[in-house]
Amino acid sequence: MKTRTKFVIGGAVILAVIVALSVQELQKMTVFFYTPAEVLASPAEFEEKTIRIGALVEQGSVDWNAQAIQLSFNITEDGENSINVIYAGVKPDLFREGQGVVVEGKMNGPRFEARQLLVKHSEEYTIETDHKKSKEEYYKSIMSQ
Amino acid sequence: MDKMKKIIIYLEWGSILGLTFCVIWIFLILPIESSQGFPQKIMYLHVPTFIATYLAFFVVFAFSIAYLWKRDLMFDQIAKVSAEVGLIFCALLLVTGAIWGRPTWGTYWVWDARLTTTLLLFLIFMGYFLLRMSVSDRDKEARLASVLGIIGCLDIPIIHKSVEWWRTLHQPSTLFKVESGKASPSIPQELLNPLLASIIVILVFYLYLLILRFQSEKRKEELNQLITETQF
Repeated sequence: MKTRTKFVIGGAVILAVIVALSVQELQKMTVFFYTPAEVLASPAEFEEKTIRIGALVEQGSVDWNAQAIQLSFNITEDGENSINVIYAGVKPDLFREGQGVVVEGKMNGPRFEARQLLVKHSEEYTIETDHKKSKEEYYKSIMSQ
Repeated sequence: MDKMKKIIIYLEWGSILGLTFCVIWIFLILPIESSQGFPQKIMYLHVPTFIATYLAFFVVFAFSIAYLWKRDLMFDQIAKVSAEVGLIFCALLLVTGAIWGRPTWGTYWVWDARLTTTLLLFLIFMGYFLLRMSVSDRDKEARLASVLGIIGCLDIPIIHKSVEWWRTLHQPSTLFKVESGKASPSIPQELLNPLLASIIVILVFYLYLLILRFQSEKRKEELNQLITETQF
């Protein structure tokens, strides 16, 4: 095979992958995640389907069962439409109440069984006023783990 | 020629000293960010890398248009070497993003709009070099590559706006945040200063790689010219 033919074939394969990815992803990525309100509004549509839901972790709803390694919490965006999420796995480092999360999984009745739990971190960055102390405490917390 | 050599040496030492200075500043002096902790520090590589990527492909865009307009092969050479450097920065951008994503998001990769369009840019410019390699006629290569270069760079504004147009896992821009018509980066000054410093250093590094690569590219073409001349 001539070198040139090889390059043409290689280029065609890459181009095909690009087009396939774009078409497939452009459809999906407009809805990378649904909101709880959208899911609750039409439960029949989302039943038995693997979906992602993005919202905030509701204050005071987190229940961590260390024995069973099971995490249960409610997610909501507006405080009214809330969904209970069950996740069998450890808590991510940045997981806390009020934090934005994206969960992937299926609805099972009124509950959402998450297969994956992603933390959506904010674009806002802050520092403690007492730098030296916070730095020392941070390193100490890492060492003790 | 000697003047060029001098500029290259200045840029080289500028990037070496600048990088050392930034590393010391970021790892030894800077306070820890409160919500993310230590992983936030990769921001000082990730953000400058995306700015260098944008700039590199903007240079490709501008010089591709310039080539199509003036048909001067030097413009095509600049576009080509900038695309090479840009591709390296784009790869670095994807890798640093993945490293940052693991401890914060909990995953190396998701198919959200920001990440997918960035990968698309990388793939387009992989194709760009395949295209260049597959055409033997120099003028035809420059013409085709310019067209693909221009089209490929149209992905940049899409990448930049993706976090606003679609729901993504990736957070919106911190640095280019605009509130009521005014630029207001949502990061304290103390964390912002080293970020600006690293952006300048990485841009110096980009310029260094660009000029260095341009020099070698020019010599390669001169050599090719000599070879074709001596064959006849």
